[in-house]
Amino acid sequence: MASLGANTVAILIALGSFPVSLALTRFFMHWNGKHGIIGIDVHKLNRPKVPEMVGVAVPITLVLFAAIYAIVGGSSSIPLLAYALVVGLAALVGAVDDRLKLRGIFKPLLTLLCGLPILILGLTFPGQVYTSTLHVPLFGGFHLPVIYPLTILVAVSVTSNTVNMLDPLNGSMAGGVSIVAGGLLIGSLLVGAGSTPVGVSSMPIFLYASLMFSLLGFLYYNRFPARAFAGNVGQLSIGASIGALAILGRTEIASIVAIFPNIQNSFFFLSRIRRFTEHRELTSRPTKLLSDGRLADSEDPRAPLTLVRTLLIGRPAPENEIVSTIWMLFLTSTSLAVITLLLTGVPR
Amino acid sequence: MNKRAVGYELVVFVTQWGLMLLGFGILTKIIAPLNLVSPSLSIGQYLDAAVKGLIALVLSVAWLFIWDRQVRLYFHRRGK
Repeated sequence: MASLGANTVAILIALGSFPVSLALTRFFMHWNGKHGIIGIDVHKLNRPKVPEMVGVAVPITLVLFAAIYAIVGGSSSIPLLAYALVVGLAALVGAVDDRLKLRGIFKPLLTLLCGLPILILGLTFPGQVYTSTLHVPLFGGFHLPVIYPLTILVAVSVTSNTVNMLDPLNGSMAGGVSIVAGGLLIGSLLVGAGSTPVGVSSMPIFLYASLMFSLLGFLYYNRFPARAFAGNVGQLSIGASIGALAILGRTEIASIVAIFPNIQNSFFFLSRIRRFTEHRELTSRPTKLLSDGRLADSEDPRAPLTLVRTLLIGRPAPENEIVSTIWMLFLTSTSLAVITLLLTGVPR
Repeated sequence: MNKRAVGYELVVFVTQWGLMLLGFGILTKIIAPLNLVSPSLSIGQYLDAAVKGLIALVLSVAWLFIWDRQVRLYFHRRGK
């Protein structure tokens, strides 16, 4: 651990994002509810109205704390600026989608542009934002001067959209991604990410910690039974944050492993539907609500085999139990991600 | 909690994780060191990167195909 003190300071500053996110979530719950920005919780028998787009509290907190850390944390401001721009742009795309209900194809296309700040700032300030060497567990690494910069755009688009697709139940996204962020934080601490050449200090540690704490603040109101919905604004920006952190924190392969549940969900959704579409446009639903309030497999052969559906095949379950199971899956994949980080070792 | 589903997913995740490490190992130790296109050509570096990228893409598709078969084997048949 090259800089235990710096890591401790980073985590202490990031801890502040929990109360800020909590307060902002509460504020947006009231503001959005008052202004008619409301969604219906379709997985409850009484179909309660819940404030939508409240997840905007998370990107605001992340950007605010990135700015605070750039000022007081002594870290290089260039990668923090790239991170804040990626999160902000993804939130903007999500907000536009929430208000205008864009067609399914626009989200992956627009989120491709969200990775541009990392690419442009990386090319302008070589070595400060990313390095083109991919570190592989057990086998060393290889240099990708042409492919790596191009994959940045794809990585941010994939992570933002895959996180967006796995938020069907109360707290499933916020809880799942906070487990991922927490696991990658622990893994980064174990391998001594504070000594990486990207960023001069404990920037990845700080960003993972601030993501985890801001998500926990939001999760307080988003957990079952939800009093706030994230909306695309929250989901896309949180996903983009995971993608940006994978590049800035040099945890690319471990991040892929950590989001295995998201990858499975998105892959089976796309392989069945065979096009980018919104859940609201689906005619065949993967699950159905039973009269006793439990969720069950719809048994519709045309419906996608989503992660939630795989957990319900032959066994209906209450919503909170399914969410616990999803969190357990994230815990499993994140444990594998931590092992991956340990096998990769200190990135140099 | 649906322990059986978690158990199946655990098997799928661990298998895919192992295959992923193997795939990256193949890329690192075998594919990356190859000079597939002569670097003396004006766009040789880019062609070489494109061919290697294509190989990585084929490996990724194979990885997803195995994932697909596993999930269908464990979950889809139980639903029929």
